[in-house]
This record gives sequence, C-alpha cells and structure tokens, in this order.
Amino acid sequence: MTFLVDLAIVTVSCLALGLVSKYLRQAAIPAYIIAGIILGKSGFDLITSYDFVEWLGKIGVILLMFYIGYEFNFKGIREPGRLFAGCTDFGVNFIAGFSLGLVIGLSLIEAFILASAVYISSSAIVISSLIENKRLIYPEAETIVWLMVFEDIILAILLVVLTSIMSGSLAMIPVCLATTLLLIVFILTLIRRLSNFISPLFERDDEIPILLIFALIFGFSAIAYLLPALLSALAHFLGISLHCHISEVIVAFFLGSALSGVKSFRKLFGATISFKNLFLTIFFFSFGMLFQFQFATLSSADFVLALLALIALSILGKFASGALIGKRLHGSLETGLRVGAYTTPRGEFSIVLLAVVIGMGTGNYELLISLVVAYVIILSIIGSGFAKHGDRIGKIMTGSINKLTQQKR
Amino acid sequence: MRISELPEIGTKYEIESPKGDKVAVIFLTTGEIELYVLEAGAEQPSVTRLTSEEARRVGSVLTGAMLTIEREDVEVTFSDISDLRINIHICPVTEGMVGKSIEDLGIRKRTGVTIIALSRRERTIISPPPETVFEEGDLIVAIGEREQIKACAREILGQV
Repeated sequence: MTFLVDLAIVTVSCLALGLVSKYLRQAAIPAYIIAGIILGKSGFDLITSYDFVEWLGKIGVILLMFYIGYEFNFKGIREPGRLFAGCTDFGVNFIAGFSLGLVIGLSLIEAFILASAVYISSSAIVISSLIENKRLIYPEAETIVWLMVFEDIILAILLVVLTSIMSGSLAMIPVCLATTLLLIVFILTLIRRLSNFISPLFERDDEIPILLIFALIFGFSAIAYLLPALLSALAHFLGISLHCHISEVIVAFFLGSALSGVKSFRKLFGATISFKNLFLTIFFFSFGMLFQFQFATLSSADFVLALLALIALSILGKFASGALIGKRLHGSLETGLRVGAYTTPRGEFSIVLLAVVIGMGTGNYELLISLVVAYVIILSIIGSGFAKHGDRIGKIMTGSINKLTQQKR
Repeated sequence: MRISELPEIGTKYEIESPKGDKVAVIFLTTGEIELYVLEAGAEQPSVTRLTSEEARRVGSVLTGAMLTIEREDVEVTFSDISDLRINIHICPVTEGMVGKSIEDLGIRKRTGVTIIALSRRERTIISPPPETVFEEGDLIVAIGEREQIKACAREILGQV
C-alpha cells in the first residue's frame, strides 16, 4: 500500500504549498516544483515509487495538451494583425534565447530547446492576471490572449520538430515527421467520420462519456507509442534499420482539436479540466522530484551568470516584441510595453517542453535542465509581479522613455 | 457592437457610446458574466462579476420590455403596446385583514384593485372568489394602476 503513502505525500505537500502561494498571490507552478525538489531525490527522498508518481505526472502533460488542442481556434489566428504579433513574439524571443544558448556554450540542439523554453509564456499566469487586473475591456487584452493561442500552435510545432530531432540520427528526422503527420491526419479524419457515432455517447448521463474520452486519449497515446515500434520491426524484417519516435502529447493535442468539432463534448469538457488540473499538479511535483539538484553546479559563478543573463535577456525580449506589437497594432508604445509586461511570466509550457523533449532526469542534459528549472522558477515569480503591475510598468517606462528622448532634443 | 473571441476566457461584447464611454460584457467560460464600464478618459474600468441569473435581471431592466421591480411592485409592460402598464403588487396580509374575506374588506369597491392570486403555505389560489377569507401568512398578488395600488396599500393594508 506504499502507493497511498506516495499519493498522500504528493497531494498534501502540493496542497500546502499551493495554498501558501495563492495566499501570497503568487503563481503556484514553482511551488509545486519546489515541493517536488524538497521531498524527492534531491531532498528528503521520501517517495517510494518514483516511477508511479512520474507516470501520473505524464498523464497530466497529456491532458494539458489535450486541453490546449480543444481550446485552440484555427480560424481566429489567421487575422493579419494577430499573425504579425505572433511572429514578432516568436522571432524576437526565440532568437534571443537561441543566441544566448550558443554564447554560454550549449550545443545547437540544446540552444534550440532553451530558446523554445525562453519563448513560451505561461498562459495560466498571463490570463489570470488579465482577469484579476480588469484589463479585458482594453484592446491589448485581445492581442495578448491571441498571442497565447499563437504560442500554443508554435509549441505543438516545436514539439513535433524537437521529438523528431531527439529521436536519433539525422536521416530519421523526415521519417519521424512523416509518421507523426500521418497519425495526426488519421486521427482528424477518424474523429470526423465517427462524430455521428460518438456524439450521442457523450450525451449519456452514466460513466460512458468519461470512459470514452479517456479511452480515446489513452488509446491514441498508446498508438503513438506502439506505431514506431511496429514500424521498426517491419523495417527490420525488410532489412532496413529504422528508429523513430512519435510524441504522445502531440497526438493528444490534435485529438483535442478534433473533438472540439464534436458539439456534445462541450458538456464533458469541464470534467476533463478537473482531471487535467490534478494530474498536471502531480506532473510539476514529479518534475521537481526527479530534478538532480547539484549545489556545486548551481552555485558556480558561470551558472549564475548565465542564469542572470538569460533572465535579463528574456525580460528585455518580451518588452521589445511587445513594443513592436503595440506600435504596429495599437499605435502606442505604452500599450506595447504593457503587452510586454503581461507576457513576461514563463511557466508550465517551458517545463512541459523540457520534460517531453528530453524526458525527465536523463543524464546528458543536466546543465540545461538545471538552467531551465531555475529560470522558470525565478521568471514565473518575477513575471507574475510584472503582469500584476503591468499597467504601472507600462506607464513608468513610457514616461522615462519620453523623458530620455526629450533630453536628447 | 463588437463581438470578439477571447480563447480560454470567453466571449466579449463591446459597445462604445458617442461620448467615448465603453461598456463590455464578457461571458466567461465558467458561466459567469463580467460587466465592464470604462468612462472616457478614466484610468481604471469598473468591473462587476455577475451570476447568469443576476445578469438576466440586469438585462431585463435594461431592455425595459418585461419587468421593472420597485420594492415588491412589479410593473409589466408590453413591448408592442407601449401605453399599457400593469402594476402587480405582492405583499403579505396585515393583521387587520386576517379572518375577513375579500368581499368584507371591499377591496375592489374601495380601491379598484383586483386580487388575482393568493399564496397560502405553498398552495396558490389563482383568481380567489370574493368570499375567500384571508389567513395569517397569506401572500396577496394584486393588480391595478399605480394610484389604485397606493390606495390599496393605504386603506386596506394600513401602510402609510
């Protein structure tokens, strides 16, 4: 019955730290990661079965991507202003992260992963601060919310690309991409074809709807896992060597977006959100729990310097992209700086990306993982402060910029 | 009226008055409704969060078509017949009325008000006959013009 003890440790510690962070009006994500670090491998080592907690956490990531896929709106993103905003946000911040990654001596792939983590803001923190600060009536709120949507689709693309790259040799990348795309098309058409059959099942009042949704999610995730194995066995039989990897979270993303076309699913969606919230919390815990905390590395001057540079650069990056977006879309620098302040917090997606791409606690990427974990914890706290006072920051910055330009004249 | 989607938040309906004041109604995905009012030139908007029931009430007040509630008075107007207004008055019976019938009190004769319903311990009597005797705890629903309702409140209910 040790699994009960593990579950109790995870839920009680997350509840306690979660409550503290809500009380302090801080983002809860770093609290859960810190709970994991304290109680896991690097801390008191209280968990009996790390695998068990890790598996539960993986369900959280799958459900998160399913949720994003469902909420994703392909139509709204195509408006030219939004496209410009999204591309500017991606261009500026990704390049900033990538070049800094190369400067501090990471490999190309590591720098690519770092850049992805640096680029993606935390939708959860951003959206809750917009509502709390009563910003929804302002036009920039729309811009910011659509930026988050754009980031979601980029995240999906990055995940497809990165899991393919990470799967091994260069020659296998196209194979991976092709099988992933094939499976996605298969899911989308299958759900569309079956929607008449599925739709009434979601309207039932018993346990069938929730069973069906999890059967779909786990079923397709299992296919994503089994298909590459099957393919490589087949290829082996034909005398070719073939290794590829399909990310199950990508499959969940597209399953979600396919199901958004099924109207009767809406009613059930609330229930899946509750499951997502629970398992995602366990995921953050499990990520912290497996994190190899090395004091020597973390306190070395190089690491601290790199971390500080990364933080400074990514705050600057969001302000720069925000300013460009504000100028172009709203014709106002101040609005742009507000966009920058609101999009500063990073959080769940950076961690999810890292966990999905390199797997948790694997050997070779220790430096990168430590860097990103420390980065996310710090930037989610600083960032939520920025988002909370976004209006004031925008005003102060425009004030000082105006002063500077006047002095020059 | 501008309608826009805010993914993960809800749907926003926005209207700007000629003076530059802005009003936005946001239907949150949680089912609640946020009402924003931003006066032209103001720093901060005023925001209130309503349940769907509260929002419906606010909405019906604004549309003005169906109901206006003033204390326990309900004024019913009809969207197609603009000059027809019926006041419906809801009040508990007062001490002086208990044990007397509608006829005894001469409600119709003295005030012009008609009792259209009586709510008695979760049982409702629609169009009670004149000999109906009031009991303690009864709730009366009466209709009449505003002046008649006032007269009824004064003379029958003994309210000033």
